[in-house]
Amino acid sequence: MSENQNTRDNRAEYRQDTVMAHEYDGIREFDNRLPNWWMWIMWGSMIFALGYWLVFQTLHLKPESHEKFELAQQKALEAQLARAAAQGVDNNYMVMMSKTASKVAEGHDIFMKHCVACHLDKGQGLVGPNLTDGVWIHGCEPMLMLKTVTEGVPAKGMPSWQNQLGPTRVQAVVSYVMTLKNTNVPGKAPEGQPCQF
Amino acid sequence: MDTTNTQMKTVTYDDAIVRAFSTVTVLWGVVAFLLGVIIAAQLSFWQANFGVEWLSFGRLRPLHTNAAIFAFVGNGIFAGIYYSSQRLLKTRMANDMLSWAHFWGWQLIIVCAALSLPLGLTQGKEYAELIWPIDLLVVVVWVIFGANFFWTLAKRNEKNLYVSIWFYISCIVTIAVLYIVNNLALPTGLTHSYPIFGGVQDALVQWWYGHNAVAFFLTTPPLGLMYYFMVKAADRPVYSYRLSVVHFWSLVFLYIWAGPHHLLYTALPDWAQTLGMLFSVMLWAPSWGGMLNGLLTLRGAWDKLRTDPVIKFFVVAVTFYGMATFEGPLLSIKSVNALGHYTDWIIGHVHGGALGWNAFLTFGILYWLFPRLWGTKLYSTKMAELHFWIGTVGILLYVVSMWVSGVSQGLFWRALDAEGFLKYPDFIEGLSNSIPMYHTRLLGGVLFLGGSLLMVWNLIMTARSGKPVTVSVQVPAQRPAGDKENAWQLLTSAPMLFMIGLIVLAVWFGAAGSMLSPVLLALLIVLGVAMIISYGVHQKRWGHWYGLIERNALVFTLLALVAILIGGAVEIIPTVLASKDVPLQITEKMAAADPVLAEKAKWVQKPYSPLELAGRDIFVREGCYNCHSQMIRPFRHEVLRYGEYSRLEESLLDHPFQWGSKRTGPDLAREGGKYDNLWHYMHLNNPRSTSPASNMPTYKHFKRKTVNVPALERHLAVQKKLGVPYTDQDLALAGQRYASQAKLISDDLAAKSITVPANSEIIAVIAYLQRLGRGPQPLAPVPVAATPAPAVQAVPATTLPAATPAAVPAKTPATKTTPAGH
Repeated sequence: MSENQNTRDNRAEYRQDTVMAHEYDGIREFDNRLPNWWMWIMWGSMIFALGYWLVFQTLHLKPESHEKFELAQQKALEAQLARAAAQGVDNNYMVMMSKTASKVAEGHDIFMKHCVACHLDKGQGLVGPNLTDGVWIHGCEPMLMLKTVTEGVPAKGMPSWQNQLGPTRVQAVVSYVMTLKNTNVPGKAPEGQPCQF
Repeated sequence: MDTTNTQMKTVTYDDAIVRAFSTVTVLWGVVAFLLGVIIAAQLSFWQANFGVEWLSFGRLRPLHTNAAIFAFVGNGIFAGIYYSSQRLLKTRMANDMLSWAHFWGWQLIIVCAALSLPLGLTQGKEYAELIWPIDLLVVVVWVIFGANFFWTLAKRNEKNLYVSIWFYISCIVTIAVLYIVNNLALPTGLTHSYPIFGGVQDALVQWWYGHNAVAFFLTTPPLGLMYYFMVKAADRPVYSYRLSVVHFWSLVFLYIWAGPHHLLYTALPDWAQTLGMLFSVMLWAPSWGGMLNGLLTLRGAWDKLRTDPVIKFFVVAVTFYGMATFEGPLLSIKSVNALGHYTDWIIGHVHGGALGWNAFLTFGILYWLFPRLWGTKLYSTKMAELHFWIGTVGILLYVVSMWVSGVSQGLFWRALDAEGFLKYPDFIEGLSNSIPMYHTRLLGGVLFLGGSLLMVWNLIMTARSGKPVTVSVQVPAQRPAGDKENAWQLLTSAPMLFMIGLIVLAVWFGAAGSMLSPVLLALLIVLGVAMIISYGVHQKRWGHWYGLIERNALVFTLLALVAILIGGAVEIIPTVLASKDVPLQITEKMAAADPVLAEKAKWVQKPYSPLELAGRDIFVREGCYNCHSQMIRPFRHEVLRYGEYSRLEESLLDHPFQWGSKRTGPDLAREGGKYDNLWHYMHLNNPRSTSPASNMPTYKHFKRKTVNVPALERHLAVQKKLGVPYTDQDLALAGQRYASQAKLISDDLAAKSITVPANSEIIAVIAYLQRLGRGPQPLAPVPVAATPAPAVQAVPATTLPAATPAAVPAKTPATKTTPAGH
């Protein structure tokens, strides 16, 4: 099914401009082959459609429109965060970070490596206090939490993480811990003062 | 040709009906173009409605579209169908009375439309605005047309059906199905009704109809006309019969699926959106098949392009058809649609098709027909040439200015600054940028109208120089006997079985999960290849089989009907079933058990109060949806500008839906609470007072007119019948609640030195606008709160018993919302 010219095949049905036997009100019809480039568009678009459906609707390998929207929102947050970093780390900066999914995810990874032994996987506490309730021992202002993790509280068994993790990763893990507040996972009993941030 | 039968009889064609249809085509054409010029002028200069409510944009635009589609192109199609069918079937139309009933019935419909639409009598759905009594008339007249046509098919003296006839058949059956389903409604009175579908269902049905009105009214019948009139004018054989077969069937099968491309990125479920996009992309080749068969037919006749204005019109028409059917699939690709939707690009696209393809094809036919119908020569070829050039320049100015305007609007709306916030927070800035393009478009429209006036003169003089002609031909007394195969044999032959197999597998593949679908895909490919091989081997037999289908009008019609029903059924039935049992009935218990349901329940819409419903009826009456959407797409820039993106659950109770398709003004989905009552009062009274660059009409008559509250109770009762959860108490207390909520707003305005009766329309419209995107608003005065917030922004009261106990969502976006600006 490849040639539009008929030099190669002289059978009647392959010859160009064969007038068909019928006639309607003086209108006659040829029965020429369909142009190859047209066939390519037709079959190509059908194959594209099947493939697209498979990828997007059946296997969900790509995000749907509302998921794409969430991704775009996150990207915008990251960009804002990057700019805010230039003005120094403060409470607002940390709140912004705790809403940035990629930073929180990074913090979660760090938490699961270094913090999980004392605070357990959901932050419900074992040696260390429960991080999922609404009360805090050393102040829950984000900058105070950052100080607690950076410098540690040796008297209570909380080590200092500033050298081991460095400032960026400490910020990330604090942003993750901020998201645990008020998730209220049953675990160690609440200690400290209720607070808001 | 069959010459075995030597008995001959005389057939006299009915050309009087063709003369009638051709004449009114010219008349309605000028009316439609003039209306277009007027509303184009209104977008350039808001004063161009002269402050008359019947001439405001929202009321005239539906009249323009209906006149262009159904009056101008419609009558043109009928003229062409009556002329060509008689000759292609070698018989007179079956019944002259039916022909004339069709003619006068159709003109009556047009006159009714021309009277009712400016009065604001509308169903509020694009291209389906005509109120229900006129709809009934349309159905009756269409049945008359169909009966006459199929009766003529049965009486024909020609064995096979020529390709033009195929296209006419598909038009008649499909328009019947589309028109009836999309206009199903419950009347509240003689001139008003609510559609039985609501929200997402109404949106899907409406665009299944809207898109296929383009397909089966503006595309397939004109293609049929092209296959007759252009081929006649060129006097060359059609390029390829088999291309006709392939592109006809692929076109009618694929077109019907493509409707959801009007709803990309809306609250329509993702799977339906994807279907709309993919079938639109697949339409590219079948559409171009028609263009190719037209242009390639002209091989050997291109010299006529220099001398014959008819051929000039046809060539440009077919070229614009090719352009528009490339642009269509392009605009249906999601990422392109994200830029082009709601902008003037769509207006440019539509007019490339309407002015370039439909109007130029019709002009060509009229210039060809008039001399033949009146047995004379065209009065002035030079004048027709001039019409051609003026018209072409007019179209180009129109289309190019709308491209520029549309693409700039799309870019303008989505532009974000380095901080990730709106670069142009004020919507009106984009409109101001488009005004020079609106002036250019107006010039294009004026040129197009001017050209058509030349045609009027030319055709009048042509008709006056001749006399009506009666044409008779000799045909064999008996139609050559058909082949012996019965319908059942035809429907169970190899080509049919392959087709059924492929369609079943493809639909199954679409619905299957990730495990089964690769298997089905493989089977689909195997079957497809098997079909190609079978065709290659048995080409002659397949051709013979198709020849048999072609001479059995009943089988042909049934196959065309089935082909168009599949796509509609696959898209509409699941949507109707799915949204019936989901959000409206979510109980507290279900929500507690399932976080997905809880999220849905948060968005579920509550019924409108009587005052808000009255405001909504006025909003629909004025055609506000022609310029304002109520559907925020899930894009950061839209969420920043308008608020949280729209959810499916939020408009389920909207009969009709008002998602809109164009943003000459900003989206209104979350307009409620953005401004106070006074702002809305001033803005409706004179939009320039609050946004100086606005081109919105003034709605001063809202102050003067009053709402018929007792009639409103009937509206609520009909809504209740349609499934909106109003209680009997809601109906009983409607008048009381209306008064109490209206008083709240009129008191608020009075406190700001505006005195307006509580039962005036402006109060209802303000109540509706303040409700949009929010839950029920207070009906009775709320105790003075500590905060000095405007009254309407007070805490939502629970005066309306709601269908679900779910809380009213605080629909504010997580990120800061910049006011849309007017």
